[in-house]
Amino acid sequence: MPDFSLTPEQESLRDLARKFARTEMAPHAAEADRTARFPEEIYRKAYDLGLTNLNVPTEYGGSGLGALDQCLIVEELAHACGGMTTSIIANCLALEPILLGGTPEQKARFLTPFCAQYGLASFALTEPSGGSDAGALRTRARREGDHYVLDGEKCFITNAPHAGLYTVFATVDPERRHKGITAFVVSRSTEGVLPGKDEEKMGHRASSTGTIRFEGAKVPVANRLGEEGEGFSLAMRTLDQTRTPIGALATGIAQAALDHAAAYSLKRQSFGKPIAQHQAIQIKLANMVQAIHAARLLTWHAAWTIDQGARGTLESSIAKCFASDAAFAVADEAIQTFGGYGYMKDYPVEKLLRDAKLTQIYEGANEIQRSVIARELLRAYE
Amino acid sequence: MEIVVCIKPVPEPETRLRAAPDGRILDPEGVKYVLTGYDESAVEQALLLKESVPGSKVRAVSFGPSPRAEETLRAAVALGCDSATWIDSGAEPSPDPVDVARALAGTLRSLPHDLVLCGKQAGDDEAGLVAGALGELLGVPDFGYVVDLRWDAARSVFTFHRMTETLQESWEAPGPLVIGLQQAWNDPRTAKLPAILKSRKAPIDKVPVPAPDAHASRSRATTFALPPPRAGAKLIEYKTPEEAAERLVKVLREEAKVFP
Repeated sequence: MPDFSLTPEQESLRDLARKFARTEMAPHAAEADRTARFPEEIYRKAYDLGLTNLNVPTEYGGSGLGALDQCLIVEELAHACGGMTTSIIANCLALEPILLGGTPEQKARFLTPFCAQYGLASFALTEPSGGSDAGALRTRARREGDHYVLDGEKCFITNAPHAGLYTVFATVDPERRHKGITAFVVSRSTEGVLPGKDEEKMGHRASSTGTIRFEGAKVPVANRLGEEGEGFSLAMRTLDQTRTPIGALATGIAQAALDHAAAYSLKRQSFGKPIAQHQAIQIKLANMVQAIHAARLLTWHAAWTIDQGARGTLESSIAKCFASDAAFAVADEAIQTFGGYGYMKDYPVEKLLRDAKLTQIYEGANEIQRSVIARELLRAYE
Repeated sequence: MEIVVCIKPVPEPETRLRAAPDGRILDPEGVKYVLTGYDESAVEQALLLKESVPGSKVRAVSFGPSPRAEETLRAAVALGCDSATWIDSGAEPSPDPVDVARALAGTLRSLPHDLVLCGKQAGDDEAGLVAGALGELLGVPDFGYVVDLRWDAARSVFTFHRMTETLQESWEAPGPLVIGLQQAWNDPRTAKLPAILKSRKAPIDKVPVPAPDAHASRSRATTFALPPPRAGAKLIEYKTPEEAAERLVKVLREEAKVFP
């Protein structure tokens, strides 16, 4: 039988994240959502405690955690606020291409100074004309001597307006489709790198999302990760690593929705008794807890698979896709449990639905996840 | 300066408590024990002193069974304590605070200590007796309800305040002392992730419970029960604010008898 118990180390990591989520994040979640404020003081505190660069090895100043450890932390943070969690873990996504594709010299040059102080980084893949079809990206990288010149535009980039470091995917030749894509580490201070303003979003409003324009931005060849044409594979391998924590993030949102719904159902009276005593509500709660339990176990299994050294493409796609669909469904049922109050912004559950929605879209839309799952599945039958 | 901070593993504040099957004590089954409340303030005070007095060392000491005492000590090490001593009670320890003070005093006699810090009371039973009993057993002065303890190096005395709901006093005294700290006056720090991971590998000195002296306790807890549930809140129905105020005043006067 597999062992589902956590080690004392994992328990204490989870305790740390839970305490931070409850004391530092939760009290500000509603206000940051209402005003779409980017609560950078919270992200600074998260950095101080070691919660932002979770996947970076300790030799470069990160926390050096495995996938399961990261998931335990992310679920706790997301229980307090999905949007803040997205901004807190965006560094993991942005730095993963350097971890996977960087030389030892590049890792030391980029990661060590970055992790030595508070800072945000962004993963810049998506473009206005397409996200899931990454092979069609249009941002150009033209080689000129010892540097590349970048031109183009990225959009929906988490933390872009506030980040100091970007991992950027551009093509050296659009004709070559996937085989032209190349990854670069780009400092925000580079001339011709123009981050845009924050987008106004439906959910994840404490997070920041924006465009980055490149207008003749000169990036040294020494900042290229891997060879020309290796960027697409690097992006996909990065997402294999970072998709699983999105499953954990969705699970945290779902758990928060259930916690609110269950507590409310014990207090709210109708027809002379708490609504928790009505079978209609009991069925909702039972379905919600089943979905959450399955989402958590699929996420843990995907993380465990990755921690064993496997790529985990199938497992992480299943976890992300299932958990995010579960989060949306559970948040929906939480609103229904609250009835009219659930639709009001004075109550916490409508935010959870808006936050859950994004988990079905970002880090690979669930349609793409399903096509990945089917591809991996059919491979076994061919 | 050798600082000892005594910490008690107490149930996490959100735990649902229940009596053990024999009805005598709290059922420890499934309870998560943590460092919390007054003891967190005591650890914070120890670390503040360590940071202000060069060459100081802080040793955390806890009495209890495995794994709860060891886990609480690791939490203290993650916060910055230099070393930890676990007095292994083996089975469920006596809940008598004076028994706890005896175990601590017997152990502290062989540990260097210029200053012994405790929470002024435990976060669970709130007995508030250990610091006082420990002072008596060690034969040193003890003070409770203390905030803002400092070391005056020029005069070799500790200065501190005693803060209660009704008074504030200022004191000074040379060491060694036993001090019971007030809660949350010093905004206890949170352990950082790398320190938490490091604390998992820190050595914990395990020592046996000291042999009981001539005055060993003969007390025994007989029952443990939770307070009865509180009566429900009274909802006042109204149509206008004036009516709400009128009805509230009536309830406060006639039912709650808050004023005549």
